[in-house]
Amino acid sequence: MRAVLAHASAPPLPAGAVDRLMARIATEPRQAGVMPFAPRPRAPRAAFWRHAAAPLAASLALGVWLGASGRVDFVLPNAVTGGVALIDDAPVDDLGGVGDAYAGEGLT
Amino acid sequence: MPDAGLLEASAGGSHAAFAEIARRHYQPVYRLVWRMTNGAADAEDMAQEAFVKLWRNPTQVRDAAALKGWLMRVAANAAIDRGRKPRGTALDHAPDVVDPQARPDAPLDRAQAARLVDARIASLPERQRLALSLVYFEGLSNIEAAAVLEVSVDALESLLARARRGLKDSLSAGWRELLAGLAETGQ
Repeated sequence: MRAVLAHASAPPLPAGAVDRLMARIATEPRQAGVMPFAPRPRAPRAAFWRHAAAPLAASLALGVWLGASGRVDFVLPNAVTGGVALIDDAPVDDLGGVGDAYAGEGLT
Repeated sequence: MPDAGLLEASAGGSHAAFAEIARRHYQPVYRLVWRMTNGAADAEDMAQEAFVKLWRNPTQVRDAAALKGWLMRVAANAAIDRGRKPRGTALDHAPDVVDPQARPDAPLDRAQAARLVDARIASLPERQRLALSLVYFEGLSNIEAAAVLEVSVDALESLLARARRGLKDSLSAGWRELLAGLAETGQ
Protein backbone atom coordinates (compact mmCIF):
# COMPACT_ATOMS: atom_id res chain seq x y z
CA MET A 1 0.00 0.00 0.00
CA ARG A 2 2.76 2.44 0.93
CA ALA A 3 4.57 1.63 -2.32
CA VAL A 4 1.52 2.58 -4.31
CA LEU A 5 0.66 5.64 -2.22
CA ALA A 6 4.23 6.84 -2.59
CA HIS A 7 3.42 7.47 -6.23
CA ALA A 8 0.57 9.85 -5.50
CA SER A 9 1.24 13.44 -6.52
CA ALA A 10 3.13 15.60 -4.07
CA PRO A 11 1.49 19.03 -4.18
CA PRO A 12 4.07 21.78 -4.49
CA LEU A 13 3.55 24.74 -2.21
CA PRO A 14 2.51 27.69 -4.39
CA ALA A 15 5.29 30.25 -4.55
CA GLY A 16 4.80 33.08 -2.11
CA ALA A 17 1.89 31.38 -0.34
CA VAL A 18 3.15 32.19 3.15
CA ASP A 19 3.85 35.79 2.13
CA ARG A 20 0.32 36.12 0.78
CA LEU A 21 -1.02 34.69 4.01
CA MET A 22 0.97 37.17 6.08
CA ALA A 23 -0.16 40.04 3.86
CA ARG A 24 -3.75 39.01 4.54
CA ILE A 25 -3.05 38.65 8.24
CA ALA A 26 -1.76 42.22 8.30
CA THR A 27 -5.18 43.44 7.21
CA GLU A 28 -7.23 41.07 9.36
CA PRO A 29 -8.82 42.52 12.48
CA ARG A 30 -8.41 40.63 15.73
CA GLN A 31 -11.50 39.32 17.41
CA ALA A 32 -12.61 41.68 20.16
CA GLY A 33 -11.71 40.57 23.63
CA VAL A 34 -8.74 38.41 22.72
CA MET A 35 -6.59 38.26 25.78
CA PRO A 36 -2.98 37.18 25.71
CA PHE A 37 -2.31 33.87 27.36
CA ALA A 38 -1.47 34.10 30.99
CA PRO A 39 0.33 30.97 32.09
CA ARG A 40 -1.75 29.24 34.72
CA PRO A 41 -0.10 29.69 38.11
CA ARG A 42 1.11 26.46 39.58
CA ALA A 43 -0.83 25.23 42.52
CA PRO A 44 1.34 25.83 45.60
CA ARG A 45 0.31 22.50 47.07
CA ALA A 46 1.96 20.63 44.21
CA ALA A 47 5.22 22.47 44.87
CA PHE A 48 4.96 21.75 48.58
CA TRP A 49 4.50 18.02 48.05
CA ARG A 50 7.33 17.91 45.55
CA HIS A 51 9.71 19.34 48.15
CA ALA A 52 8.24 17.35 51.02
CA ALA A 53 8.37 14.01 49.26
CA ALA A 54 12.06 13.29 49.82
CA PRO A 55 12.13 14.12 53.59
CA LEU A 56 8.91 12.16 54.10
CA ALA A 57 10.32 9.14 52.30
CA ALA A 58 13.55 9.36 54.30
CA SER A 59 11.60 9.65 57.54
CA LEU A 60 9.53 6.59 56.66
CA ALA A 61 12.64 4.58 55.81
CA LEU A 62 14.32 5.64 59.09
CA GLY A 63 11.22 4.70 61.05
CA VAL A 64 11.06 1.27 59.45
CA TRP A 65 14.75 0.69 60.12
CA LEU A 66 14.59 1.82 63.76
CA GLY A 67 11.45 -0.22 64.35
CA ALA A 68 12.97 -3.33 62.84
CA SER A 69 16.27 -3.04 64.71
CA GLY A 70 14.60 -2.39 68.08
CA ARG A 71 16.88 0.53 68.94
CA VAL A 72 14.04 2.71 70.12
CA ASP A 73 11.97 0.08 71.87
CA PHE A 74 12.61 1.81 75.20
CA VAL A 75 10.46 4.77 74.17
CA LEU A 76 7.57 2.61 73.04
CA PRO A 77 4.82 1.25 75.32
CA ASN A 78 5.07 -2.32 76.52
CA ALA A 79 1.94 -3.25 74.65
CA VAL A 80 3.93 -2.75 71.50
CA THR A 81 7.32 -4.05 72.48
CA GLY A 82 6.38 -6.58 75.21
CA GLY A 83 6.22 -10.32 74.78
CA VAL A 84 3.53 -11.86 72.71
CA ALA A 85 1.29 -14.45 74.33
CA LEU A 86 1.69 -17.76 72.63
CA ILE A 87 -1.43 -19.77 71.97
CA ASP A 88 -0.37 -23.36 71.82
CA ASP A 89 -3.74 -25.07 72.11
CA ALA A 90 -4.25 -27.95 69.77
CA PRO A 91 -5.83 -26.74 66.57
CA VAL A 92 -9.55 -27.09 66.53
CA ASP A 93 -10.71 -28.60 63.28
CA ASP A 94 -14.34 -29.09 64.07
CA LEU A 95 -15.75 -25.82 65.25
CA GLY A 96 -19.32 -26.76 64.43
CA GLY A 97 -19.49 -29.86 66.65
CA VAL A 98 -20.50 -32.09 63.78
CA GLY A 99 -17.71 -34.55 64.63
CA ASP A 100 -18.95 -34.84 68.24
CA ALA A 101 -22.45 -35.57 67.03
CA TYR A 102 -21.19 -38.35 64.83
CA ALA A 103 -18.98 -39.75 67.61
CA GLY A 104 -21.88 -39.71 70.08
CA GLU A 105 -24.05 -41.80 67.82
CA GLY A 106 -21.31 -44.22 66.87
CA LEU A 107 -21.30 -43.11 63.27
CA THR A 108 -18.32 -42.55 61.05
CA MET B 1 10.67 28.62 20.46
CA PRO B 2 7.95 26.02 20.97
CA ASP B 3 4.49 26.49 19.49
CA ALA B 4 3.08 27.46 22.88
CA GLY B 5 5.41 30.46 23.10
CA LEU B 6 4.64 31.52 19.54
CA LEU B 7 0.94 31.19 20.17
CA GLU B 8 1.20 33.29 23.30
CA ALA B 9 3.14 35.97 21.43
CA SER B 10 0.61 35.85 18.59
CA ALA B 11 -2.21 36.32 21.05
CA GLY B 12 -0.34 39.42 22.17
CA GLY B 13 -0.40 40.67 18.58
CA SER B 14 3.05 39.66 17.37
CA HIS B 15 3.10 39.30 13.59
CA ALA B 16 6.61 37.88 13.71
CA ALA B 17 5.50 35.04 15.98
CA PHE B 18 2.54 34.32 13.77
CA ALA B 19 4.77 34.33 10.69
CA GLU B 20 6.90 31.67 12.36
CA ILE B 21 3.77 29.57 13.02
CA ALA B 22 2.83 29.95 9.36
CA ARG B 23 6.32 28.96 8.22
CA ARG B 24 6.18 25.85 10.40
CA HIS B 25 2.71 24.61 9.62
CA TYR B 26 1.48 26.12 6.37
CA GLN B 27 2.92 23.45 4.10
CA PRO B 28 1.38 20.37 5.78
CA VAL B 29 -1.96 22.16 6.12
CA TYR B 30 -1.88 23.13 2.45
CA ARG B 31 -0.95 19.58 1.41
CA LEU B 32 -3.83 18.18 3.42
CA VAL B 33 -6.35 20.56 1.86
CA TRP B 34 -4.92 19.87 -1.56
CA ARG B 35 -5.47 16.15 -1.09
CA MET B 36 -8.90 16.60 0.41
CA THR B 37 -10.01 18.73 -2.53
CA ASN B 38 -8.10 16.77 -5.15
CA GLY B 39 -5.94 19.74 -5.99
CA ALA B 40 -8.69 22.35 -6.19
CA ALA B 41 -7.66 25.82 -7.25
CA ASP B 42 -8.96 27.29 -4.00
CA ALA B 43 -6.93 24.93 -1.78
CA GLU B 44 -4.73 27.88 -0.87
CA ASP B 45 -7.75 29.93 0.21
CA MET B 46 -8.93 27.12 2.50
CA ALA B 47 -5.49 26.70 4.03
CA GLN B 48 -5.36 30.46 4.55
CA GLU B 49 -8.73 30.43 6.25
CA ALA B 50 -7.47 28.10 8.96
CA PHE B 51 -4.59 30.47 9.74
CA VAL B 52 -6.80 33.54 9.62
CA LYS B 53 -9.17 31.88 12.06
CA LEU B 54 -6.22 31.22 14.33
CA TRP B 55 -5.00 34.81 14.03
CA ARG B 56 -8.40 36.21 14.92
CA ASN B 57 -8.44 34.33 18.17
CA PRO B 58 -5.34 32.31 19.07
CA THR B 59 -6.75 31.54 22.51
CA GLN B 60 -9.25 29.10 21.01
CA VAL B 61 -6.40 26.56 20.73
CA ARG B 62 -6.67 24.89 24.10
CA ASP B 63 -3.61 22.69 23.81
CA ALA B 64 -0.76 24.63 22.25
CA ALA B 65 1.21 21.42 21.75
CA ALA B 66 -1.49 20.23 19.36
CA LEU B 67 -1.48 23.41 17.26
CA LYS B 68 -0.64 21.60 14.03
CA GLY B 69 -3.50 19.18 14.60
CA TRP B 70 -5.86 22.07 15.32
CA LEU B 71 -4.92 23.82 12.08
CA MET B 72 -5.33 20.58 10.16
CA ARG B 73 -8.76 19.96 11.68
CA VAL B 74 -9.99 23.46 10.81
CA ALA B 75 -8.61 23.24 7.28
CA ALA B 76 -9.97 19.73 6.72
CA ASN B 77 -13.41 20.79 7.93
CA ALA B 78 -13.32 23.69 5.48
CA ALA B 79 -12.36 21.30 2.69
CA ILE B 80 -15.14 18.88 3.64
CA ASP B 81 -17.69 21.72 3.76
CA ARG B 82 -16.55 22.87 0.35
CA GLY B 83 -16.99 19.35 -1.02
CA ARG B 84 -20.58 19.23 0.26
CA LYS B 85 -21.64 22.55 -1.23
CA PRO B 86 -23.26 22.27 -4.65
CA ARG B 87 -20.96 23.77 -7.22
CA GLY B 88 -20.83 24.15 -10.95
CA THR B 89 -18.72 21.76 -12.99
CA ALA B 90 -15.23 22.35 -11.73
CA LEU B 91 -12.20 21.48 -13.75
CA ASP B 92 -11.20 18.83 -11.26
CA HIS B 93 -14.58 17.15 -11.72
CA ALA B 94 -14.48 17.25 -15.48
CA PRO B 95 -13.98 13.91 -17.18
CA ASP B 96 -10.43 13.06 -18.17
CA VAL B 97 -9.51 13.71 -21.74
CA VAL B 98 -8.37 10.48 -23.34
CA ASP B 99 -5.14 10.64 -25.24
CA PRO B 100 -5.96 9.09 -28.64
CA GLN B 101 -2.36 7.94 -29.04
CA ALA B 102 -2.18 6.21 -25.68
CA ARG B 103 -2.04 2.43 -25.87
CA PRO B 104 -4.14 0.72 -23.21
CA ASP B 105 -1.59 -2.07 -22.78
CA ALA B 106 1.38 0.25 -22.37
CA PRO B 107 2.97 0.25 -18.92
CA LEU B 108 2.08 3.27 -16.82
CA ASP B 109 4.63 6.00 -16.55
CA ARG B 110 5.14 7.93 -13.36
CA ALA B 111 2.72 10.73 -14.20
CA GLN B 112 0.00 8.29 -15.22
CA ALA B 113 0.53 6.25 -12.06
CA ALA B 114 0.29 9.43 -9.98
CA ARG B 115 -2.93 10.44 -11.71
CA LEU B 116 -4.40 6.98 -11.21
CA VAL B 117 -3.53 6.88 -7.51
CA ASP B 118 -4.71 10.49 -7.00
CA ALA B 119 -8.02 9.73 -8.67
CA ARG B 120 -8.59 6.64 -6.56
CA ILE B 121 -7.75 8.52 -3.36
CA ALA B 122 -10.13 11.28 -4.41
CA SER B 123 -12.91 8.74 -4.87
CA LEU B 124 -12.71 7.60 -1.24
CA PRO B 125 -15.29 8.90 1.25
CA GLU B 126 -14.04 12.13 2.77
CA ARG B 127 -13.28 10.83 6.27
CA GLN B 128 -11.39 7.84 4.93
CA ARG B 129 -9.45 10.15 2.64
CA LEU B 130 -8.68 12.43 5.56
CA ALA B 131 -7.49 9.54 7.72
CA LEU B 132 -5.31 8.23 4.90
CA SER B 133 -3.84 11.67 4.20
CA LEU B 134 -3.03 12.34 7.84
CA VAL B 135 -1.37 9.00 8.52
CA TYR B 136 0.23 8.06 5.20
CA PHE B 137 1.07 11.43 3.70
CA GLU B 138 1.53 13.70 6.71
CA GLY B 139 3.11 11.08 8.94
CA LEU B 140 0.88 11.69 11.95
CA SER B 141 0.66 8.93 14.52
CA ASN B 142 -2.66 7.18 14.91
CA ILE B 143 -3.23 9.04 18.16
CA GLU B 144 -2.57 12.43 16.56
CA ALA B 145 -4.71 11.63 13.53
CA ALA B 146 -7.54 10.42 15.75
CA ALA B 147 -7.39 13.74 17.61
CA VAL B 148 -7.62 15.67 14.33
CA LEU B 149 -10.62 13.61 13.27
CA GLU B 150 -12.07 13.78 16.79
CA VAL B 151 -12.58 10.04 16.93
CA SER B 152 -11.12 7.21 18.99
CA VAL B 153 -7.96 5.44 17.83
CA ASP B 154 -10.04 2.32 17.15
CA ALA B 155 -12.36 4.34 14.94
CA LEU B 156 -9.38 5.82 13.10
CA GLU B 157 -7.93 2.36 12.49
CA SER B 158 -11.27 1.26 11.16
CA LEU B 159 -11.32 4.25 8.78
CA LEU B 160 -7.80 3.41 7.63
CA ALA B 161 -8.66 -0.23 7.08
CA ARG B 162 -11.71 0.71 5.03
CA ALA B 163 -9.68 3.25 3.06
CA ARG B 164 -7.03 0.64 2.25
CA ARG B 165 -9.67 -1.89 1.26
CA GLY B 166 -11.49 0.72 -0.81
CA LEU B 167 -8.32 1.70 -2.60
CA LYS B 168 -7.43 -1.90 -3.31
CA ASP B 169 -10.91 -2.61 -4.63
CA SER B 170 -11.01 0.47 -6.82
CA LEU B 171 -7.54 -0.23 -8.12
CA SER B 172 -8.13 -3.96 -8.53
CA ALA B 173 -8.36 -3.66 -12.28
CA GLY B 174 -5.25 -1.60 -12.60
CA TRP B 175 -3.45 -2.78 -9.47
CA ARG B 176 -1.22 -5.39 -11.10
CA GLU B 177 -0.58 -3.16 -14.11
CA LEU B 178 0.26 -0.30 -11.82
CA LEU B 179 2.73 -2.30 -9.77
CA ALA B 180 4.20 -3.89 -12.89
CA GLY B 181 4.48 -0.51 -14.55
CA LEU B 182 6.16 1.00 -11.53
CA ALA B 183 8.59 -1.91 -11.30
CA GLU B 184 9.31 -1.73 -15.02
CA THR B 185 10.13 1.94 -14.89
CA GLY B 186 12.21 1.37 -11.78
CA GLN B 187 10.14 3.84 -9.71
